[in-house]
Amino acid sequence: MPQIFSRTADTWFRALALGALVLAVALFGGAFAFARSQYWDVVARTPDQPVPFSHKHHVTDDGIDCRYCHSTVETSANAGFPATHVCMTCHSQLWTNAEVLAPVRQSLAENRPIDWHRVARVPDYVYFRHDIHIAKGIACVECHGRIDKMPLTYRAKAFEMKFCLDCHRDPAPRLRPRDQVYNFDWKPPPDHAALERRLMAAYHIKSPVELTSCGTCHR
Amino acid sequence: MSGGKTFWRSIAEYQRSDAFGEMLKAEFPSLFELWTVDRREVLRVMGASLALAGMAGCKPVRSDDVVPFVNRPEGLLEGRTEHYATAVPFDGFAQPVVATTSGGRPIKLDGNPEHPAFRGGSTPFMQAAILDLYDPDRSQAPLAGGRPASWGDFDGQMAKWRAAWAQSRGAGLRILIGPTSSPTLLRQIAELKAALPQARVHLFDPLSGYAGEPPTRLRPNLANAEVVVSLDDDLLGPGAMQAINARAWGERHGDLDVSNRMRLYVAETTPTQTGAKADRRIGVPPSRLAMLAKAIVAGGEVTLTEAEIAWAKEAPAALEAARGRSLLTVGRFAPPEVQALALQVNQALGNVGKTCDLAAPLTYVPGAGESFLDLVRDIEARRVSALFVLGVNPVYQSPGDVPFARIYAKVPLRVHAGLHVDETAALSNWHMPLNHALEDWSDACSPDGLATIIQPVVRPMYDTRSLHELVAALTADEAASAQQVVRQTWPQLAAGAAWAGALKTGFVAAPQQTAATPAPVQVAPPIPQPRDDQVEIVIRPDPTIHDGSFANNGWLQELPKPLFKTTWENVVAISPRLASQMQVDSGDMLRLESDGRAVEGPAWVLPGQPERVVTLYLGYGRTRGGSIGTGTGYDAYRMRGIAQPWNAVGTVKPTGAKTKLATTQEQHLMDGEVEGLIRTVSPEHPSARRGAEETDETSFYPKWPEGKTAWGMVIDLDRCIGCNACVVACQAENNVPVVGKKQVYEGREMAWLRVDRYYAGDPDEPETHFEPVPCMHCEQAPCEMGCPVHATVHSPEGLNLMVYNRCIGTRTCSSYCPYKVRRFNWFDYTSDQPSPIEAQRNPDVTVRGRGVMEKCTYCIQRIEAAEVQADIENRDVREGEVTTACQQACPAQAIRFGNLADAESAVAKQRRSPRNYALLGEQGTRPRTTYLAKIGEKADGE
Repeated sequence: MPQIFSRTADTWFRALALGALVLAVALFGGAFAFARSQYWDVVARTPDQPVPFSHKHHVTDDGIDCRYCHSTVETSANAGFPATHVCMTCHSQLWTNAEVLAPVRQSLAENRPIDWHRVARVPDYVYFRHDIHIAKGIACVECHGRIDKMPLTYRAKAFEMKFCLDCHRDPAPRLRPRDQVYNFDWKPPPDHAALERRLMAAYHIKSPVELTSCGTCHR
Repeated sequence: MSGGKTFWRSIAEYQRSDAFGEMLKAEFPSLFELWTVDRREVLRVMGASLALAGMAGCKPVRSDDVVPFVNRPEGLLEGRTEHYATAVPFDGFAQPVVATTSGGRPIKLDGNPEHPAFRGGSTPFMQAAILDLYDPDRSQAPLAGGRPASWGDFDGQMAKWRAAWAQSRGAGLRILIGPTSSPTLLRQIAELKAALPQARVHLFDPLSGYAGEPPTRLRPNLANAEVVVSLDDDLLGPGAMQAINARAWGERHGDLDVSNRMRLYVAETTPTQTGAKADRRIGVPPSRLAMLAKAIVAGGEVTLTEAEIAWAKEAPAALEAARGRSLLTVGRFAPPEVQALALQVNQALGNVGKTCDLAAPLTYVPGAGESFLDLVRDIEARRVSALFVLGVNPVYQSPGDVPFARIYAKVPLRVHAGLHVDETAALSNWHMPLNHALEDWSDACSPDGLATIIQPVVRPMYDTRSLHELVAALTADEAASAQQVVRQTWPQLAAGAAWAGALKTGFVAAPQQTAATPAPVQVAPPIPQPRDDQVEIVIRPDPTIHDGSFANNGWLQELPKPLFKTTWENVVAISPRLASQMQVDSGDMLRLESDGRAVEGPAWVLPGQPERVVTLYLGYGRTRGGSIGTGTGYDAYRMRGIAQPWNAVGTVKPTGAKTKLATTQEQHLMDGEVEGLIRTVSPEHPSARRGAEETDETSFYPKWPEGKTAWGMVIDLDRCIGCNACVVACQAENNVPVVGKKQVYEGREMAWLRVDRYYAGDPDEPETHFEPVPCMHCEQAPCEMGCPVHATVHSPEGLNLMVYNRCIGTRTCSSYCPYKVRRFNWFDYTSDQPSPIEAQRNPDVTVRGRGVMEKCTYCIQRIEAAEVQADIENRDVREGEVTTACQQACPAQAIRFGNLADAESAVAKQRRSPRNYALLGEQGTRPRTTYLAKIGEKADGE
């Protein structure tokens, strides 16, 4: 009876098995890396918007407060998206013929809302609230990054659960005095530890056990 | 454990059949059935769910559009809810509600807490009215001869008709309306009759009878009544006064000091919720009800049975002993001479003006020649040239001996206005769609006599108009808006501030009300006496679908009927004795014949049903009831006679066929010490505790650390009337899906809160008990131990949380749960729902996907909202700041929720009551939801 397997068969098999293992690890690792990538998390991408709105221009150059447009940020779960009317309070006087603002004027004239594309978004099963974060001295910059430097708006942080939990487990380093919440250039004072302690007490910040209980964000 | 009663849920359990024992052991009854039939089918079903369920979470995060306002309405905060006081109609009366809107969409209705009579209480019908607003089968545009038309076409025709009527002073014009208490509509009718004296406005009220005016009835005021004797009056059952009566009931129950307690004596022709809660109840056939009534006035009667004589002695003695604080009340279905007796007795006892009022009717009272019977005669005599059917459905709801479809066709011009293209619309020349009450300006009186201005909480979704505009157009060339028409009715609210105030509070004193002078007692045909081979037939509105107007409401269709626990169809209720004589069981088809008319429906063996009485329920058998209302059940209207709509005699026999009833009575069974599930204490023996093992806190598992908040719930079984308002409220609040008849039959209904119904004692004259069962939020929760992926976990505040996005659907938690309160999404029940139902959903509650377990959360969204608000204000959550949806809805105030760690909270106080006990306490789960035992003359074991 002739040999069924050649002399090199064993080597081939070992190489193949090893190759399969390497491929499997690579695929798994690749999938994992992809799921943690900026691409998957939609970070640092600027979607096409009907108007090329610049936060940099409005916040840094013009010095408009966040709350002028996002008016419900302190009173509601939603920060509030500005109505066309809010844009037109200024733009009925400024840049009244600018080509880029045509959709805004059209919206007001036709009473049809502007169709923006959402940049910062958490999944449906996450119930994020702006009001409580502002009340507890968490600044805009913590989640939205240096939006005051963005000519076109993009998502600055990956809104993954880890991102939320990092802070909910240890909120102290991110706390600010209430009047510095909208200040993008705030620098913590040298004795930051003392400030942390004072703010933790003043805000009655809940324990990490309570802050990381599933029901805090999911229901 | 000892001393408890033996409870049973069905006749099969009473007889302790082996099959029942097997079913108890099966997690899902239908699966048990499948297993015995086809093992492969089970594996297929389970395999599919295992293969697909885990994939539910794998959806990429979408980047979606955001569409802001052009002009933000003043005062509107995105992401916050708004509340508006208004009312929804029921039987022509207002049910005052507060509508919650989110982003302009009404999402929830609740009783108006400011309303002096309702005080925040709800009924299932009030809660479910919001789903009718979003009914995909609502009529959306006018129809002319069944083809799409426009209001412009109709207005053009109307101008011609109006000119003709102005000449003929309305000769030949007839209007058919349902019962209405709207001061505006009543004013419009009066003005119409003045302008067109030849026209007539007929009343069509299938729940008050078709011929002549209904007899003068006393309006009960249960708040002042210590002794109530009810002759077939379902005070606590479905009706416009249910929430008011339940509130009074609740305030006179649930206290071990029985000096304030209401005693309730009920004689009824078919079991009702009122009978279930009575201290002394007897079933009496309708043919003997009048005799029993006479016996109350004049003493014993030889033809009565022993039980009836005993009742007829005890009840009047109790009435007499509490003169001025007692009430004899007679149901709307009882014959007029019995109604007259009630007035006489209450006057003699000095009760009128205290426990009951003799007030003029709030609803439309037709004049001479304006009954439905008169309309039928006039059509037959060709005296009707134009008939406007406004908001009623006579083709479906006319009695069996009036073939109204054929009679209606004899009218040359038939105009129908309503919310649906129903049976009547299909036979009309014109169908005009009306606004839903939540889209409309109107007004109506609640049964206590106050009026509510009905304000729109959303703009009309379709090309619809107000009924007031339609009626105004009959005489006026200039079209006035509904708001203008309503405001004309209320000159005292002419000032802007007064008008705004009336809208804000949700009620206003009704126009002048006068005490009624009792109408002369009408001679009605006597209740027919059955021959020996016949049974007595009693016809009643369905407990959840009512007269058929809620047939297309999925919540009410799937709501288990309070006593039968059946869903999606009506049954023929028969007594256990009659069932064993005929050798039929629940689900066997029965054929009833009476006076040449016949219906077939599934039997339901109803404990407590008088022996030779068969009860039929109205509202089903619709032929054009919408996509879910059509083709379910049988049509009991066909068995009614125009002169005797509530009673008949006839024969009943099994057809041999059998149907599968979708009943929940034997689903989600708790396997434990059944004797201890419902407990009764007495003032002498107030403790509901049994045995030491119930309070033994020894456990293998460590105790959770105690914080300053520990949420808990206490349910008072002495107050609960089993009305199901809590169940519908939970469904509305928590986006609980409707699954359909087949799925309910398979044991897959999704209601987070169920009301269990137990019987005890003799099936002919049983005790009936109701027990709402939400999640117990156990401190040592078996489900948490069971979940392999930590999808159900404990919160620091003691909530048993469900994390949907972690759940992979093993259902281990459900099999570990001794209370059987967990519900599994076997299919995707939500994404293929027709538009616009999704607009009703609560944005603060996750819509669950396929393959995910869910259960009662103690309304965590409300807890979170209150905690966040308190946290923003740097304070603790206050007592009463969090109410669960079930608690808010409960008209009898049987449910309390709050912080157990606060010793002063209402719920902590109730938990210290000797009546407090835990369900299956011996299992050591330490539930956060506990119960307060019923209070009876005798405690368990006495």
